[in-house]
Amino acid sequence: MSESTHFDAARQARRISEQAVTWYIELQEPLGERQRVAFLDWLRTSPQHVAEYFAVARMHGDLKAASALEKLSAEALVEQARHENPVVLFPKVGRPIPLERDTHAVRAGRGKRLLAGLAGVAAIVTLAWLGVTHGLAPGAVSPQREVQNYAGKNDAVRSLKLADGTLVQLDRNSMIEVHFDDHYRRIDVIRGHALFDVGKDVTRPMLVNVGGHVLQDIGTVFDVKRDPKGDTLTVISGRVRVLNGSNASPPSSDALADLTAGQQIELGPAVIGPVHPVQIPQATAWLPEEIRFQRETIADVARRFNAYTVKPLVIEDEGIAGKRISGLFHANNPQAFVAYLSTLPNVRVIEGADRTRVVAAHRMRTE
Amino acid sequence: MREKHAWSTLFAEKRATLSNYFLRRVAHRWDAQDMVQEVYLRLLRIEPADAANIRSPEAYLFTVAANLVKEHAVLRQQQPLGSDELEQVVEHLVAPANVEADMDSESRQKRLGALIDRLSPKCKAVLIMHYRDDMSYREIAERMSISTHMVKKYIVKGLAACRRRMADYE
Repeated sequence: MSESTHFDAARQARRISEQAVTWYIELQEPLGERQRVAFLDWLRTSPQHVAEYFAVARMHGDLKAASALEKLSAEALVEQARHENPVVLFPKVGRPIPLERDTHAVRAGRGKRLLAGLAGVAAIVTLAWLGVTHGLAPGAVSPQREVQNYAGKNDAVRSLKLADGTLVQLDRNSMIEVHFDDHYRRIDVIRGHALFDVGKDVTRPMLVNVGGHVLQDIGTVFDVKRDPKGDTLTVISGRVRVLNGSNASPPSSDALADLTAGQQIELGPAVIGPVHPVQIPQATAWLPEEIRFQRETIADVARRFNAYTVKPLVIEDEGIAGKRISGLFHANNPQAFVAYLSTLPNVRVIEGADRTRVVAAHRMRTE
Repeated sequence: MREKHAWSTLFAEKRATLSNYFLRRVAHRWDAQDMVQEVYLRLLRIEPADAANIRSPEAYLFTVAANLVKEHAVLRQQQPLGSDELEQVVEHLVAPANVEADMDSESRQKRLGALIDRLSPKCKAVLIMHYRDDMSYREIAERMSISTHMVKKYIVKGLAACRRRMADYE
């Protein structure tokens, strides 16, 4: 009974839940014949699908009452969501987060024991965590863990895609350690230089630990460089909030700095430098100059370009996103790639202020 | 035939409550696991040609489940659901008879509420605005400055996450 089998089973269960929910939501509108047959086919694939559909229907019946328990107004909730930025925590440098104790403390006491027992470093990390994630209830199944080490190559930048969809560019001789389970995703940057394009997973927050600096991210591209003289954080796209980790109060209250696309900050052992603008081509000079792809999905190729630009390319249509293409482009010329995409059938490109959206042409009529 | 038509109408109006009603009933009277197996086998027996003709597969699914509950009751020589099943169902919807089942649902709702609370702030805001405040995807999209497509995505992700965590309890 290996860990990966456990992990696969959990992933499989999650996939079925998502499918059941998707069908349940779809069925709120009358379906076309093809869709109706597809739904029946899905049900008939496995009794597990039938059971899950019943379970979702049952849960859905409770949603109105369950959500009515929330006391905050819609305005307050929207405000909270607006502050849901990726977070950088500044605990004492050189002090690694005690991973195991951390997890156990959350499991056992959900906070109190933790605050009492651990240094401010770990405490603030966990506070940030509890806001968005899930302590395990006593008696609940233990999380399935997946731990994996990745080392960079000696001669070239290595590209990795993690199980959650996160893309990592790993420089020569760099190393990261990845810990994923059902409840959170955590990556330790052991040494070197790495760029993260964090896969969206609204239920499992990501914490990136940079030798004591912890980055919590939700869907942003950023670059981390470890250096004994001080680490550097560069935000390529999205937003990152920097917090003081030694001050044990909720993340929203003690922001040291907010970084947006195209900004950089030096994280010295004692002093934090000012936030300053940075030329993205400089910051990403270590990345390959070319983007070469063989039968990769458009979604993945687009994300590779997003490592180089403050204006990310967002593929909103799933049909387009999943299409496989091959080619070679200059990394510093995403416009060429966008131009190429716009030549594909049924593709519409919409230039926004902070992003370039790629949608299916037929969607334009309904939106 | 008339009954089938009535079913889909009732379904359109009372979907969530109805499915909830059956599932609760099944959970109390019969092993839900067995029912799922049996429903599944019956779904497998549908001819491909007929599959295309089922106007509302979801109503069909719950009708199959309801019939099974009824047959099961007959088998066990208990009171069958009654000849005018629909009326009885509606009656139960108006006045839930089983206090125990209601207690059950209250603690289930609390648990679900706690799970929603632990979702990411964006996901939680979307779910609450949709289910508590009855806001449409479009309204939520405007409030949150995201696309309606993303709103739907948050709802699916959030519900699936809640469902996984509920399954951990079961």
